[in-house]
Amino acid sequence: MNKIRQWEWEIGEERQWFHINLRELFQYKDLLVSLIRRELLSSYSQTILGVLWILIQPILLTLFYLLVFGNIVKVPTGGIPPVLFYMSGAIIWSFFSDTLNGTMYSFVKNAHIFNKIYFPRLLVPFSLFFTYAIRNGVQLLLFFVLMFVFGGGSMIVYPLLVLIPVLFLFSGLFGFGLGLVVSAYTAKYKDLEQLVMFLVRLFMFVTPVVYPATLISAKYQTLFWLNPLTPIIETFRAILFQHAPVHVAALVVGFAVVMLVFILSLLLFKRKETKIIDNI
Amino acid sequence: MTETALKVENISKRYQIGVYNATSLKYDMEKALRSKIKANAAEQEANHIWALKDVSFEIEKGEVVGIIGKNGSGKSTLLKIISRITKPTTGLIKGNGKISSLLEVGTGFQPELTGRENIYLNGLILGMKKKQIAGVFDEIVAFSGVEKFLDTPVKKYSSGMYVRLAFAVAAHLTSETLIIDEALSVGDAAFQEKCMAKMKDISSQEGKTVIVVSHHLGAVRSMCKRALWLKEGLVVSDGKADEVISTYMKEEKFIYLAQEYHTADSAPGNDLIRIKQTKVESRFEDEHNTISTETPFSIKLSFWNLHQAELSTTIRIHDISGTCVLESCSESFCYSPGIVEGSFEIPGGYLKPGCYYVSFDFITNNIEKTYSFEVCLTFDIREKGQKSYWRENRQGFIRPQAPFILNRFNDPINVAV
Repeated sequence: MNKIRQWEWEIGEERQWFHINLRELFQYKDLLVSLIRRELLSSYSQTILGVLWILIQPILLTLFYLLVFGNIVKVPTGGIPPVLFYMSGAIIWSFFSDTLNGTMYSFVKNAHIFNKIYFPRLLVPFSLFFTYAIRNGVQLLLFFVLMFVFGGGSMIVYPLLVLIPVLFLFSGLFGFGLGLVVSAYTAKYKDLEQLVMFLVRLFMFVTPVVYPATLISAKYQTLFWLNPLTPIIETFRAILFQHAPVHVAALVVGFAVVMLVFILSLLLFKRKETKIIDNI
Repeated sequence: MTETALKVENISKRYQIGVYNATSLKYDMEKALRSKIKANAAEQEANHIWALKDVSFEIEKGEVVGIIGKNGSGKSTLLKIISRITKPTTGLIKGNGKISSLLEVGTGFQPELTGRENIYLNGLILGMKKKQIAGVFDEIVAFSGVEKFLDTPVKKYSSGMYVRLAFAVAAHLTSETLIIDEALSVGDAAFQEKCMAKMKDISSQEGKTVIVVSHHLGAVRSMCKRALWLKEGLVVSDGKADEVISTYMKEEKFIYLAQEYHTADSAPGNDLIRIKQTKVESRFEDEHNTISTETPFSIKLSFWNLHQAELSTTIRIHDISGTCVLESCSESFCYSPGIVEGSFEIPGGYLKPGCYYVSFDFITNNIEKTYSFEVCLTFDIREKGQKSYWRENRQGFIRPQAPFILNRFNDPINVAV
């Protein structure tokens, strides 16, 4: 047979599971960096305030929450200074929702390129993930600066501070995984886009973004904590403000769910990519 | 020793056709629920087409291979599979060396970014490393001729500059195998020639393997030694380019007896002229639209003249082997913008039987070739009259009705037998 000759590469048939070529992804690292750069630059080109928008966005959102939920509706914040309470929720939530909203269009928005040039398709959602990680990471730093300005920081559990980047990362990974799953199906059924946008908005209200978890009635507590974002946001606040004990079990389950969604989404994406490109 | 660059083994590709709606959703869901859907075979076949059927071939390193065939014959699907954009439904492709494909000029260009940034981004998308791009950066810039505008966003480029830059990036790819689809017909005639020369360079001097898909039979003929003819997803013929193209043109008799474009925007051409119509006008003999050797016919051309310019047009008629049988040129004249029509009359009994193709060249100011409309018409001339071996197989390029008359004189024969 052909075993005598060595081939450098092979193109096999459609629909294969477990076909993530990490070495290849690494070979394209220059492109990944370039895509991230492009994404960061292009979102703020032709704007007057430019990169400052990265900082303005969470501040405006926090002020809005402060006005509506803090002053008008008067939702308790569990003893945490309201500005910091809303901002912590907003930053983690937006990393999740930005990655979800970004990656779900991976195929639809790049169809013309995917149809003409080959490069590992996963680079597109990954580049979006890193772009948002950088952008929202800057917002996270802003949060810490403001925390000390507003006199917070006295309650920080320093040994657990290392968990903060991990929590932040997992909120993004959750959005990334869900977005990837959606992207595999929106290419074929556009209805899904509308549905998902609606569901994401609803999802925010079952996540402790603008209210603390203690507000939920005991009957729904278990269900509520099964949402991976609940332990992520609550633990984030607990480490900084010690307003409530860390719900370790829920956090472990949450991390496991996020990892599962993340891995399954990668497999699904790889398995579906050829079919999707054939169909868009 | 020759080395194989690419080995295609029995690849087939099936596409789903039709629209996605509630029915296809139901079908997908049923399929997901039951592990094996028992839809009847006929229904399943009706929803799918086979774009490629059991295609196999090998390409040696350094070969330049043209792939020809009608629209829908599977050419593009084959290129997409080789360039990894999609995967075959069944079959396997193996290869050595990196493959890059240029299926469209300028894909992945970002209008907001500058020429310099786009060279890098496009190079990276096409599979180069940053270092490699830096190495050929100056060459790319020199080839494209856009030095002055390197730091201008490409959205401000003219379409010509845009295409030149895009082609320049692609032409300097460092990969061992290059796949090109219809990308040759870009820019003005001068740049087209530069592209062709570069392509030939790539294959001959740099020893790269090149696979070209084109409708442009003239280009395939001049670039490739070998051609593959695809028809309805099957490889019909694989061999020397000249021979394959000849059989292709003969067998696909259909070919262009007329081409017409309704708007100047979508018509082939350049900034000066756009082709409106080319047509062979005659009395055709049979359902194959052949012209008898005795029938006179005319070749019509009309085009949009976009700018006031001194213009003349050359018509060339080539036979199937590519030899130019005749060339004729119109008077040079300064036409105002509008539609210009022309006609070239060929008397009956002039060309010998066979298949011919027509090309037009547009020349400005009597010196500069601005545009070539290559192989835009083909026609077939058949023998008319008595069947005699010597009549049908006469040599020479043309067969004018200049009679060769023999007379017998009543002189005594003085030859000793």
